[in-house]
Amino acid sequence: MPDSQPYNDQTTMIGIGEYRVGSFPMMTIGLGSCLGLTLFDPNLNLGAMVHIMLPESAGRKDRPGKYADTAVPLLVNELTDLGCKNRAVIAKIIGGAAMFEYFGTNLNIGERNAEKVRILLKEYHIQLVAEDVGGKFGRSVTFLPSNGGKVTVRRADGTSTDL
Amino acid sequence: MKLSTVQADALQELGNIGAAHAATSLSVMLGSTIEMSVPAINMIDLSQLGTIMGEESAAMVVFEIQGEIAHGGYILFYITQESAVRLTNTILGMKEINRPLSEMDQSALLEVGNIMVSAFLDATAELLGIVILPSPPALTIDMAHAAMQSLIAQMQEETNEVLLFATELVCKEYKIDSDIILMPERSTLLRIIELLENMMKSS
Repeated sequence: MPDSQPYNDQTTMIGIGEYRVGSFPMMTIGLGSCLGLTLFDPNLNLGAMVHIMLPESAGRKDRPGKYADTAVPLLVNELTDLGCKNRAVIAKIIGGAAMFEYFGTNLNIGERNAEKVRILLKEYHIQLVAEDVGGKFGRSVTFLPSNGGKVTVRRADGTSTDL
Repeated sequence: MKLSTVQADALQELGNIGAAHAATSLSVMLGSTIEMSVPAINMIDLSQLGTIMGEESAAMVVFEIQGEIAHGGYILFYITQESAVRLTNTILGMKEINRPLSEMDQSALLEVGNIMVSAFLDATAELLGIVILPSPPALTIDMAHAAMQSLIAQMQEETNEVLLFATELVCKEYKIDSDIILMPERSTLLRIIELLENMMKSS
């Protein structure tokens, strides 16, 4: 059972600004203001995951997974190429916290990341079915496309919830 | 961006001086000996941050670097949760190890971080001949990666790699393991290197 042991050799780690597409287990750790986005097509059991850092790319093309405005179209295109239909795809977002009370509260990058992704998903007619965003704490996420697109979120205090 | 050996050596020396002052202040607070590692300079790609900072829960007291270099980056006092409890126990005269960090622990950590980071910055600023000041501190006790990632996201200069400059400070007597981590903006790093190079030329 791959899902009973989410943290194993088969799990692909997704770092900041990285993304993966496939049916293998994926994981990203320590989302603060960053946003994890998972897309899943239940008909094909295919998924995509990205670790977004900032809302706007401002024309930068080198790391499309790093920015919300380039990451969403990229993932949608990759899934479309594999035969997914946008209307079948379901999305979940995780992260977008504000870890520090004193710093950057005026920037609120976490909230802006989440908002940008919500708007883009709507534009692509992709259903956002669940979110675990905001607050002042970090989150790690495992995503199992082969197990019904199961998304599990862990916090620093050890609590873990399925999304 | 690649650092030359000379530049890396000069930075390491700067870090040594800063960390030595921070270690001394910690030593005074604990009334015990502090061992200090050689400062490690890591130029790290953002996608690889997880290999250095993980999911472990840590207390981090964070300061923005201000003064003559405005928005110069961040400097932080990093301590694992277990070490943080042992540190505040030692300072506040408590015994219980298996407990969450209370408000009193948090203010103690803020104070310790403040003293150590100020000592670090004072010493390095004096050597460089410029004014470097820490912002008021911010404390987080959570996943180390999540905190670090949030700081990188709000840096002024958009970047795909960061320089992490870490010195480990260990108190064997009380089993306290902590780090001072400097994460300068790219322009700050270049400015510091320039100041160091001028200093070497003139001496």
